[in-house]
Amino acid sequence: MIDPVLPVKRANQLRTVRPVKTDQPVTHEVRPVRRAIRNLDWDLLWEKFGIATILVVVWILAAIGTPRFAIPDNLSSVLRQSAFVGVASVGMTIAIIAGTFDLSVGSAQALSAWTAVTIAPHIGVLPAFIAAVAVGGIVGLLNGALVVLVRIPAFIATLGTMFLVSGLTFILTNGQTARFNGKDFVWWGNGLMGNIPVPFILFLFCAAIGAFTLHRTSFGRYVFTIGSNVKAAHVAGVPVNRTIFLVFVVVGLFTGLGAALLGSRLYSAGPGLEPGFELNVIATVVLGGTRLAGGRGSMFGTVAAAILFATLSNVLNLNHVDAFVQRVAVGLVLLLALSVEGVRQRLVERWNRSQRPGS
Amino acid sequence: MVSKRAVWAVFRFSPVGLTLLLVGAAFALLTPTFLSPNNLLNVCTSASVVAIVGLGMTLAIASGNFDLSVGSTAAFAGCITMSLVPQIGVMAAIALGVLSGGLIGWVNGLIVTELRVPAFIATLGMLTIVRGAALIYTRGRDIYLFGRTEYKVLSSGMTPVLLALALAVLFSLLLGQTRFGRHILATGSNIQSARRVGVRTSYVLWGVFAIVGATAALSGLILSAQVLTGNGRLATGLELSAIAVVVLGGTPLTGGRASVPGTLLGSLLVAIINNGLNLLNVSVFYQNVTLGLLLLGALTLEALAARRAPNRATS
Repeated sequence: MIDPVLPVKRANQLRTVRPVKTDQPVTHEVRPVRRAIRNLDWDLLWEKFGIATILVVVWILAAIGTPRFAIPDNLSSVLRQSAFVGVASVGMTIAIIAGTFDLSVGSAQALSAWTAVTIAPHIGVLPAFIAAVAVGGIVGLLNGALVVLVRIPAFIATLGTMFLVSGLTFILTNGQTARFNGKDFVWWGNGLMGNIPVPFILFLFCAAIGAFTLHRTSFGRYVFTIGSNVKAAHVAGVPVNRTIFLVFVVVGLFTGLGAALLGSRLYSAGPGLEPGFELNVIATVVLGGTRLAGGRGSMFGTVAAAILFATLSNVLNLNHVDAFVQRVAVGLVLLLALSVEGVRQRLVERWNRSQRPGS
Repeated sequence: MVSKRAVWAVFRFSPVGLTLLLVGAAFALLTPTFLSPNNLLNVCTSASVVAIVGLGMTLAIASGNFDLSVGSTAAFAGCITMSLVPQIGVMAAIALGVLSGGLIGWVNGLIVTELRVPAFIATLGMLTIVRGAALIYTRGRDIYLFGRTEYKVLSSGMTPVLLALALAVLFSLLLGQTRFGRHILATGSNIQSARRVGVRTSYVLWGVFAIVGATAALSGLILSAQVLTGNGRLATGLELSAIAVVVLGGTPLTGGRASVPGTLLGSLLVAIINNGLNLLNVSVFYQNVTLGLLLLGALTLEALAARRAPNRATS
């Protein structure tokens, strides 16, 4: 290092100046492919297609290693299984891109599913689904009000609603599981259209709506802007409060739909429907490449991640792996996938350091 | 008007303390048994189980992180210890149990600092892994400890309460008086600046996560000692209760600040409300509702207080 107090002239004398060779051929004409590879934004590529690539690899490996995996019945059951977490993850993806968070989806799911199962025999299937979606929306309204109007941090506000709604569900249900196996109702969770499960079609439909909202509407642009930098968004005139409020409602609506599908799939719903559901949903979104810090993410990744989790538990089931070991496997996959980026960063830093010794 | 200002002053000084007094007084008037020594001991015991993890969680939140794996760690340590007691004796088993919790916490820290996974996801992954490990270890069954009543020393009488108090004193001193404590707060308020001024933030986070793991393990040991049964499903959902208690106590989620006495009071408040509702024959189902309302109510008041004092930063 050169002492900054030295006069500029002397400093220039101390520095060894490398002469510029102008007659040397420009590198990119010689090795265009290598240069293109070097210029690729690996970070972005990994974020966009990493999980989808892993999914394809896992499907190929599973098809080779597990004989009963690649038959239509099994594949359709994998896709069906991915839908129930998946539909809720669509909303959560939008929330996490906006830089917020919803821990109340688990209890909202139980309440919505119970609502659908309870009232479907009385008022019909479609109204029951609408009611379930509405219940989710109401929980979302509550979350939005708490975060936007009262200004409670989203993590705690939704933690509070989580306890509140799960308690309410226990009180309403009296701890009992509601059952209904009407044919029209259970078709939504168990039916097939062609060879493709109905809930998976709905999941793809929801994801398409979500992707359209994120990338083709001003609301979606606001979501990305707020997630990148909430203060800058505010200064730039983005209606931050209104957008965040809507985001929570959207999360609630998707959660409600996913819940109704699950209730239909199981013919039943009770207060303890799926403990830890909120964390599964968040894990799916994050595995899909959406940054927890907000501002970056994609619906495509979420769909791939939901299918990947479903595939994983299916393959482990087919190979008679213990349910307890499955938990360990799921956790390991999450950690491995999420540490790729950090490890790559470290390698790049180390490489840069070795290029410039002493700096 | 003076009284209103006095109440406001107490509220500003310790919102959770004031709520605690009011709720305690209400239950003392409504139920004859609330103030009996036995019941108070019950309340304090159940408060200290959450408080012990909560204290560790206070450090984690002060350092700008979370630990979602505490429930699983508690279960894992509880099961390990229960199965080791017959072989190596009570004290050695307890020591090993707490140590295993510390190790799990240290692994959390490694994942956060070395693999650069955000703490939320790192500990979420560890939540499922450690819970799975506990279930595999017990094969999903209960571990009973027949005739080893000396293990009960952990949960009987004043032990849990004393442990919680001792940890609270220890952590207050740690945060206020030691270099490590100051480094934790510095890391929590701004990790980049802390690194610039020479704080080895990686080591700080390893330490913090190891402490959280150890406190989680201790809570798990107390829980398992209460029923002399180890089970892989022990302490499910403990992580969110612990975070709720810390937040109730006034530790902000943004990091850099911590209120150790607040965490104690917060866990006491939750325990008192649950106990009082039990004594009033209110269904257990209402406990979650009250916890949710309490959390939201406390934070609403805090947000309103922040608005009343505009010179304080609200973010």
